Amino acid sequence: MQELLQQVRILDPASQTDRVGDVSIEDGVIAQIADAIADIPSDATVIEGYGLVLAPGLVDVYSHSGEPGFEERETLYSLRLAAAAGGFTRVAVLPTTHPPIDNPASVHWFFDRQKAGFGASAQPSGGRLRPEAQPEGRQEAEGRSDKGGKGDKGDRGAVSFSSSLSSSSPLSPLPSLFPWAALTTNTQGQQMTELAELALTGAVGFTDGQPIPNLLLVRRMLEYLHPLGKPVMLWACDRELVGNGVMREGPDSMVFGLPGIPAIAETTALAALLECVEETGTPVHFMRLSTARGVELIRSAKARGLPVTASTTWMHLLLNTQALSSYDPSLRLLAPLGSPADQQALVAAVQQGVIDAIAVDHAPFTYEDKTVALAESPPGAIGLELALPLLWQALVETNQWSALDLWSALSSRPACCLQQSPAVIKAGESAEMLLFDPQQMWIADARSLRSLSANTPWFGQSIQGRVAKIWC
Amino acid sequence: MLLDENPLTVNNQVVYAEGVPFSSFGMATSTWTRRHILSLADFTPSEYNTVLQTAVSFQEVLSRRTKKVPTLQGLVVTNLFFESSTRTRSSFELAAKRLSADILNFAPGTSSLTKGETILDTAKTYLAMGTDMMVIRHKEAGVPQAIAAEMDRLDVKVGVLNAGDGQHEHPSQALLDLFTICTLLDPERPQLSLLEGKKIAIVGDVLHSRVARSNIWSLTASGAEVHLAGPPTLLPKWFREFAKGKELGVRLPRASADGSQESEDREGRGDGEDWGEIQNSKFGSVFGELTRAADSPEAKIPFGSTQASQSVSRRGEQNSPTSQSSIPYPPLVRKLFLHWHLEPALKDADYVMTLRLQKERMTSHLLPSLREYHQLFGITRDRLNLCQPNVKVLHPGPVNRGVEISSDLMDDPQFSLISQQVTSGVAVRMALLYLMGVSRGL
Repeated sequence: MQELLQQVRILDPASQTDRVGDVSIEDGVIAQIADAIADIPSDATVIEGYGLVLAPGLVDVYSHSGEPGFEERETLYSLRLAAAAGGFTRVAVLPTTHPPIDNPASVHWFFDRQKAGFGASAQPSGGRLRPEAQPEGRQEAEGRSDKGGKGDKGDRGAVSFSSSLSSSSPLSPLPSLFPWAALTTNTQGQQMTELAELALTGAVGFTDGQPIPNLLLVRRMLEYLHPLGKPVMLWACDRELVGNGVMREGPDSMVFGLPGIPAIAETTALAALLECVEETGTPVHFMRLSTARGVELIRSAKARGLPVTASTTWMHLLLNTQALSSYDPSLRLLAPLGSPADQQALVAAVQQGVIDAIAVDHAPFTYEDKTVALAESPPGAIGLELALPLLWQALVETNQWSALDLWSALSSRPACCLQQSPAVIKAGESAEMLLFDPQQMWIADARSLRSLSANTPWFGQSIQGRVAKIWC
Repeated sequence: MLLDENPLTVNNQVVYAEGVPFSSFGMATSTWTRRHILSLADFTPSEYNTVLQTAVSFQEVLSRRTKKVPTLQGLVVTNLFFESSTRTRSSFELAAKRLSADILNFAPGTSSLTKGETILDTAKTYLAMGTDMMVIRHKEAGVPQAIAAEMDRLDVKVGVLNAGDGQHEHPSQALLDLFTICTLLDPERPQLSLLEGKKIAIVGDVLHSRVARSNIWSLTASGAEVHLAGPPTLLPKWFREFAKGKELGVRLPRASADGSQESEDREGRGDGEDWGEIQNSKFGSVFGELTRAADSPEAKIPFGSTQASQSVSRRGEQNSPTSQSSIPYPPLVRKLFLHWHLEPALKDADYVMTLRLQKERMTSHLLPSLREYHQLFGITRDRLNLCQPNVKVLHPGPVNRGVEISSDLMDDPQFSLISQQVTSGVAVRMALLYLMGVSRGL
């Protein structure tokens, strides 16, 4: 089974490639890349790629699942469908479910559930799981390093299996979900989970997805985690300073009459956590950076050589406090939207690599959950299907960023934050990639969105740019 | 104009045998196109004046032996008070009754709100009963906007009036404050320009006050100097930039008079967004003692483009009995000052507005005690000596006697306008309901 993409724009952040050419894919492996491929097998599927972008699959450092607990918001299956529709081939899922993923059994359940695909139906998505995604304890450590299609035998075999399945099925292949395991029991910030055992289950790393106020506990965990060598992710946020705030404090919060969250709620916590990192030497990823001052703290920490990485979310790059004038509950986010100055600083920091990754922080909530006053609504918005087209339009089409800038921040650098090998577009590598049409117009409505939820400020709006296909 | 053309209003005039013909209710009312009254941030001078003049007419009605007019007969006004309130709700209820509307009251205590019903479900329930106007209060900001947007989306022409949303705005309170002050200066022809050059102090918990926010917009629109005073915890530095970029400009009439504006309304962007452009210039507020030159509004604000001015005066002339409203309004810099001490705010003030202090402010580390607050920011007879001799004091109520204002001062008619505010409230709210009726083609 061979596919041939003709005259497609090839983006590959790893090799800093941005060129037009032909690409042939054979059994899930990139067979050949050339300016023009002349000999086309008669059975090959030929895709006219003019104006389309072929690039490595996107990697999301953190998003929320509804399942278990709130399957009406999102199931693991619908999450994968949404991720696939948005061009994501790997999504790391936060443990903030009910119950939370805070013990080995939950991690095993997560992988079993993913393997089962959609309920008990014949959906054969199990075959798409990568070896390391199976709850096989010790094998995991080896399997993980294969992540991202390094192209070794085992990995290639799995991909080829998945690929042949997908070609025989009308459904596109489904991306892999990786569970983050909780740092503390019930993500309550009181007591550490059995971190060493969890590390062997195949969890991608450790995070609570929410602030841990007890610095003694943070310090002890960082010490304890040091030899485990797994990613650790923290959210710098002081709950006391947040208080009842729902948007970034500043001139806009005064005008809109919405309770403010001061920027120091992020920066004071960040400064304290950076001191803990310096003390323990344990690498930490800081999630949901949302302030200009926070960017500066990360910049200087990196300059000092601290082992830190950081991410912001796609919405923080696209919007600022002024958007809150609509009082759309979907604009209430876990880390509040920044001021226009924060937004600018974040955009610059991602482009410079000071902030490594753009996360989606996809947070599904039902219509009932969100059809309340902004201040009463649970924080979060969906985004897996919207992030790429909207970022592309806002940053690449406007020539603020190069296409490779965007792809580094959405694909290769997020993979590194997860200690995974990034996918690459290179002959001989397994095909973990997507085909993106920057021009295609579509409406983000209930019919087109694969997520079970619709909580996004772009709901009902016309979007330019859509993922045509993924390989993984 | 609409009223004159409508045969029903001919009948209406019969009812007014005792008083003026209905059509004199206000001048520029036929140009009133604002369906929802959600915020005063984008109110134009001519809109303020229309409200004031209309309220005068209704105040006259309220002085008659028969205090009821059939203006909104057959229409349903619903009070959707998600946050409980007696005073404002009663005021709106009386206003609607005086206009002969049928009134429904939604009370949260007896509702199904706690169990699954969304705010839009509630609104749609009352819509299904035939509600024409909704008066909405909610303890969180943005709910009236959300319901207005939903009504526009459904294309049902229901008007929404914000009766207080969280800490955001309370337009009818600010308009009745404006009316109270302006009628004091000219009972016959209250208008915005009467306040030009006056000094008005707003004292207290500005941070949590929706009344203060609406009042900042209306009072700065008049050309008055507005001085905010309070401790930094209740008056954050951010208020310096409150009016930035919100210069008051000339509202450009939309497209043309050929009905395109009708259809635009139906598209339902609703809450003020479909208003013509406001002509803005660079700087908003003039900052007080806290500001060092930085944002000095030395950039001279240009007058509205002649084109804009002309079209406004053309509109104003249509049936305005006052010459005032045909004068074009130049864009105006809002004069807003911040003070963390009371004295400079009170110095030579013409009016002092005090704000209600919620007792729970102590628990969130905003104040050490009510006692200290009263010592620093309480309005007392002594402190009024700093003001103009004929200074007046306003309070949106309910008053914490001895906290925001000393008890005896509150009852002293020489200074206190508090009971006039309550009385004005009914006339002003009648005017607002009436104008919303006009916008829907009464």
